[in-house]
Amino acid sequence: MSEHQKSEMDERTLDGWLREWRVAGAPLPPRFQADVWRRIEAAEGRARAGVGNRLLTLLNESLPRPRVAFAYLAALLVAGAAAGSLTAQRQAGHWTSELSERYVQSIDPYRPSLGLP
Amino acid sequence: MRKGALILLLGLALGAAAFAGIYLFNTARYRAMLREPQPGLAWLKTEFQLSDAEYSRIAALHEAYLPECGRRCALIEEQNETLRGLLAAGGGVTPEIEELLEARARTRAQCEAQMLRHFREVSRAMPPEQGRRYLAWVEAQTVLQPQPMEARHHPSGPAAPPHHPE
Repeated sequence: MSEHQKSEMDERTLDGWLREWRVAGAPLPPRFQADVWRRIEAAEGRARAGVGNRLLTLLNESLPRPRVAFAYLAALLVAGAAAGSLTAQRQAGHWTSELSERYVQSIDPYRPSLGLP
Repeated sequence: MRKGALILLLGLALGAAAFAGIYLFNTARYRAMLREPQPGLAWLKTEFQLSDAEYSRIAALHEAYLPECGRRCALIEEQNETLRGLLAAGGGVTPEIEELLEARARTRAQCEAQMLRHFREVSRAMPPEQGRRYLAWVEAQTVLQPQPMEARHHPSGPAAPPHHPE
């Protein structure tokens, strides 16, 4: 059975329950069945827009709070510095090899040229 | 909304600035070496912690060494040219060819000996501990470096032994 078929069957079952719903001693409010479906659809709509909403909430409400703003700025500062340090370390290793190779090539005629400028 | 967006952008700018600042600061001396007229010698100065006076002396030794090295390379090239001519003439391995091969091997050996003498002179111009470190490093990089010819016949060498057809 596909998801779509399962969902249709669930909806038919819920529709049946709503039609048969009886509250002892009190009539159901008018348009009770339609109201229940409207609320379900609204809840599903909110869930679909959840990630975007959460990000907007974070941007509008959480980020301007001094503690959150400070933590965010500090995290990006540290992350930027760490990434810069790691990249520099890797590049320094590469340049050290290149420079020492240039020296050896300048004194050793048997050293094959690696095409360094 | 505007305040949140402003803080978001400020954070990104701060991260980028931290990255660039640390990277430029930590690589400054390497970039300076690469801008030098002789980057290899500039690296030697930094690597072996040479003073300006020691560096000047070593740079002078380096400059004096290169023309002599060049003269020997030119001599080997002349010998190669003569060998090409003799081989092109055909025939067997004549005594003249054998003599030339020996002469070329002697020139190559002189070239290596001159290189070793230069390394020792350079190491003596350095502080003793750095000189020893330089000598060990430079000899390992040059005269003690396995050549393709030896590696070819070494069981653990990079090249497989040549296949001799039966």
